[in-house]
Amino acid sequence: MRNKILTVDDSKTVRIIVKKAFKTYDCEILEAANGVEGLALAAKSMPDLILLDVTMPVMDGVEMLTKLKADPQLKGIPVMMLTAEGGRDHVLKIAKIGVRDYIVKPFEEDVLIEKAGRIIDLKPLTDGPAKARSLTDPATILVVEDKPAIIQQIQEGLKHTPWKVIGAATQGEAIDFCTKTPPDLAIVSLSLPEESAFALFRLMRTNVRTKYTPVFGLVVKTETNTVQQAQTVGFTTVITKPIDVSDLESRIAKAMNLDTSLRYFGIEDGCFLVKMPEHCTPAVLAEIATYLKPKLTEAVDSGLNKAIINVQALKSLHMGVIKQLVTAMQLCKDTGVNFTLVGNNQLMSECKGFEETRSWAFHETLEEAKASFTKAPATPALATA
Amino acid sequence: MPAATQEISETLIRDNINRAVCDVFKTMLHRSVVLSNSQVTGPHENNPLAPHGEDISVRPQVVGTVGFLGEVNGLIYLYFEGAFATHCTCHMLGMTEAEVDEAGDEVINDAIGEITNMTVGSFKNGLSDHGYPCRLTIPSILRGRNFCIEPISDSQRFVYTFETEGQRLVADILLKCGE
Repeated sequence: MRNKILTVDDSKTVRIIVKKAFKTYDCEILEAANGVEGLALAAKSMPDLILLDVTMPVMDGVEMLTKLKADPQLKGIPVMMLTAEGGRDHVLKIAKIGVRDYIVKPFEEDVLIEKAGRIIDLKPLTDGPAKARSLTDPATILVVEDKPAIIQQIQEGLKHTPWKVIGAATQGEAIDFCTKTPPDLAIVSLSLPEESAFALFRLMRTNVRTKYTPVFGLVVKTETNTVQQAQTVGFTTVITKPIDVSDLESRIAKAMNLDTSLRYFGIEDGCFLVKMPEHCTPAVLAEIATYLKPKLTEAVDSGLNKAIINVQALKSLHMGVIKQLVTAMQLCKDTGVNFTLVGNNQLMSECKGFEETRSWAFHETLEEAKASFTKAPATPALATA
Repeated sequence: MPAATQEISETLIRDNINRAVCDVFKTMLHRSVVLSNSQVTGPHENNPLAPHGEDISVRPQVVGTVGFLGEVNGLIYLYFEGAFATHCTCHMLGMTEAEVDEAGDEVINDAIGEITNMTVGSFKNGLSDHGYPCRLTIPSILRGRNFCIEPISDSQRFVYTFETEGQRLVADILLKCGE
């Protein structure tokens, strides 16, 4: 549920600055110009946090706070003072009435966010209904590892991606980096000295800017206790050494919730392309199944009526792949799309061994498949898997 | 009983206003500010807008005022030239000059009032921490050109001129003399 923050300040300027500070977070900002308005709005809206000024006309902040804390319905609402009144005696007097924090103006917007984030669960706003981030979008990945060779291996392994891999050798370096530029994902070696990986993880989770950043643990496979400890405290996943870089890449894409459809779908020369990768693991098949219908619908909607299902890269045929191919062909039929298959010799001969695939006809190259649409249609017979 | 102004040293006042102005401008406006001139006078001996003989009061001014009451009583006026006031408002609110112009003087008044409130708040918090606790009043704004603010006789006047990236800011502090 969206957090509600009530800012009570007679200065419209401060209320605008507060709104500006929270605009990238999923929260609603309510405004009141004095204590009377503030109390009324607090009772009506039950905000999750009140930011309260002291010197205001009609009813000042101290009186509003006193009345709020005397009201059984409202006394539980956390209050953070945001005021130019910062003399020691004044702060002590207000603290005794009961406030969660105290910010003396002038204030940095970052400090306000950080302190508010300690009281309420501030979630960064996603880009809303706009399109999801995809594999072609840049991202920053922080690798915290005291062995430079490992950082280098990850940098090398991911250099074909638009992701920037930044290395940090210590917890301190990582904190400095996160403070300046919160990464999109962090990979932290669990074998850093003095359990500093876990300390870093806790710090990231308490900072509002990195609270929801995916954090991977990195450890040697045999360190089962450490793996278990990382899973228990809430690391997003644990990567084991030696690192399988293609697996790491898939996990990063999944953790960052990237649109991976580009791996399997595309449009070329007026044809909708479905491309099966070399290894179709259950995870890959699940990804293809997720995108297949919406991508095909999108293609049809844009005026395409030809599809090529390319399984040339596939190493071996198994029931999962067959089911997926049957589904793809059925969807093409249902949407009135002409389709054809491209395969390799091994696959063609494997297809002869299954009842469902025996009648499938393949082209040997993509070009041949594209050219086939200009000749008489040669749609393969569809068997039921 | 309020303290006599003579008890409060000029150094304490100067250090506090310098710290307060620098802090507010750095935090809220990301500008560095340098104190360029200080004057301590009686109430009628000085025009705060002509500290070097050049009278800038002929240009449009936006002046923020906040008072403080308690162990020490007084008022601080912060003088902004019109264009500088607009610039500060734009920066603080993340608005363009056209947007501020469209929103009208009220937006500028509120922003300058808040800058003054923060500055005077920081100044008086410094006094409070030195044993002179006091409270702030609500800000108000004066606008115009060719005007002169004249305090009553039993007060002392401290005028500090600051330079910030080619702009001038004047802090005019009036302290009521204690009985």
